[in-house]
Amino acid sequence: MKNFIGIVGTNSDSSTNRLLLQFIQKHFTDKADIEICEIKNIPAFNKPTDKKAPIEVQKLADKITQADGVIISTPEYNHSIPATLKSTLEWLSYTSQPLIDKAVMITGASYGRLGSSRSQAHLRQILDAPELKARIMPSSEFLIGFSLQAFDEDGNLTDQKKIEELEERFNDFIQFVEITNQLVNINHSQKEKSQNFSWEGN
Amino acid sequence: MKIVGIVGSNADFSYNRLLLNFIAKQFKTLVDVEVLDIKDIPMFNQSDDQTNSAPIQHFNKKITEADGVIIATPEYNHSVPSALQSVIEWLSFKIHPLDGKPVMIVGASYDVQGSSRSQLHLRQILDAPGVNAVVMPGNEFLLGEVHKAFDEDENLKDPQTTQFLESCIKKFIRFINVVNVLNSPEGMKDVSSTEDLYATGSIDTTIEGIDMSADDWVEQAAKATKAVEGNTYVKLNRGILTVNQLNHFLNSMPAELTYADSNNQFLYYNHKLEAEDMLATRRPGQVGNPLAECHPERAFSSVAWVIQQLRNGKQDVVRTHVPTHGPDKYVVHSYQAIRDEDGNYLGINEYVQDIKPMIDWYLEQTGQQLTGGNVDAVSGATTKVDTVSSATVKG
Ligand SMILES: Cc1cc2nc3c(=O)[nH]c(=O)nc-3n(C[C@H](O)[C@H](O)[C@H](O)COP(=O)(O)O)c2cc1C
Ligand SMILES: Cc1cc2nc3c(=O)[nH]c(=O)nc-3n(C[C@H](O)[C@H](O)[C@H](O)COP(=O)(O)O)c2cc1C
Repeated sequence: MKNFIGIVGTNSDSSTNRLLLQFIQKHFTDKADIEICEIKNIPAFNKPTDKKAPIEVQKLADKITQADGVIISTPEYNHSIPATLKSTLEWLSYTSQPLIDKAVMITGASYGRLGSSRSQAHLRQILDAPELKARIMPSSEFLIGFSLQAFDEDGNLTDQKKIEELEERFNDFIQFVEITNQLVNINHSQKEKSQNFSWEGN
Repeated sequence: MKIVGIVGSNADFSYNRLLLNFIAKQFKTLVDVEVLDIKDIPMFNQSDDQTNSAPIQHFNKKITEADGVIIATPEYNHSVPSALQSVIEWLSFKIHPLDGKPVMIVGASYDVQGSSRSQLHLRQILDAPGVNAVVMPGNEFLLGEVHKAFDEDENLKDPQTTQFLESCIKKFIRFINVVNVLNSPEGMKDVSSTEDLYATGSIDTTIEGIDMSADDWVEQAAKATKAVEGNTYVKLNRGILTVNQLNHFLNSMPAELTYADSNNQFLYYNHKLEAEDMLATRRPGQVGNPLAECHPERAFSSVAWVIQQLRNGKQDVVRTHVPTHGPDKYVVHSYQAIRDEDGNYLGINEYVQDIKPMIDWYLEQTGQQLTGGNVDAVSGATTKVDTVSSATVKG
């Protein structure tokens, strides 16, 4: 049994990405224990000179550190990820950098037809930056377009093909977590080097 | 030209703010840049609409009123900072002030790559349908290793960087003009954008590297070109005169003469009177200025219209009567196209004359009178009559 956390990539009260994570949580109870984490109480990042993480950021960072893997579900705003998700990642990169070497799976839902494909591409590039350096599962885009119509009233995905696709991805992710964590343990010193990276320290 | 500069960082200290302040200061003769800070804009939240809050409305108003927007973005994790992204989300949610607005992207960051990746993301964001800004292509201005870039007076240290930045700003001015033409509905009223009145381009004869607005532009330009003067002979078509003779000759013309080249730069006037004694005032320090600095902004559209008539060959001369000199003068400004032997437009000869003495002389010589004793009896044109020929003469 794996321990994962799922990060809802928006501060919105109603969110199809939250629905998606809740569905994943429910659908895979036999494979993983998934805690859903909200970011709406995380303050806006403003590069404070003391580099201190607010308590909400610290809590999230601790959960990430303890988890075997992280699932981030992102909406698409203006062909990118929402500012609020980005702000969260800025805090994490600027303080304890818990995402370094962490296995990450990206999912996304948006109202449009392309269903967050562009925001997922941005998120990959962002997670690849030196102060985040997550281990993102490759070629695994899972997206839900027209997300307002995708769930029934019980919060289940209605499209059976989508569910099968999700199951494949999720199984891949469990394997990916396994392999990644082995690799990371071998290269432990590498991780410390990454954690010492700072843009402004150079 | 009014430009809004948006600082893409909400940090207390920001190099991108320095960069925008530098642009505002360094290029103030080219553009009027107002720098806006995004610190007061709250984090975007789809379920808590704050579009009507004062800080967001302030941005909305400033951007709507501006001719163009410059965004200076740092790079955070290979992307645009969340604070800037949040602003753009507000400005694409219930209101869309950036729609159709010309935007230029600049950026400063620590890496040697200087925000190249965040600029790319920003382009994609600004291109999203809810934003729909018109971003100037190319001309990436990236300031890498920004912590080494400014001196203690907050100026850019490297003159070449400043020069490149200047060329980007000039291109942006032209880009704004082009976008305005694209955006304007047919039958548009304001045609100011059809001409580069700020003379941001250059032509073969443009004297490069001298501040067009400088009071001593003539002296500086003369030095740079080793211009001849005094009793040196110049060969003309057809004749030879010394520079002094040429000056006296031009000053003896029965008109105030002004030369503006096809790049819309004011190059010459026959200076013999003090500004206040002239029919159309010219000051020695104005020579060299782009035409935009010779006219008030409200006149830009008419100035551009006149130049377009001449440049496009629709007319060879455009005349206008300026009625502010009282009844005993009839002052006419004639904008005459200057062309080379192949008909190429080289610029304008604006000559300003009081034509009344000539008309009086004509009437006296021929014993004729104007009908009704007044010019406007037939044509109804005290302000519109603009050439001798349109004054009706009794046969
Ligand atoms: C400012 C803004 C910009 C948006 N831009 C896009 C977009 O570029 N592409 C898209 O598919 N949906 C876009 N949307 C719609 C989102 O897909 C939709 O708001 C939805 O919230 C996404 O996820 P959620 O249900 O988890 O909140 C935008 C929404 C907002 C508020
Ligand atoms: C969270 C965070 C992430 C950063 N990521 C990058 C980066 O990916 N590339 C880069 O060149 N600089 C990066 N930097 C350093 C910025 O370039 C530097 O903070 C710069 O001063 C930001 O511009 P500003 O001074 O206008 O705020 C990052 C800084 C922070 C705080």
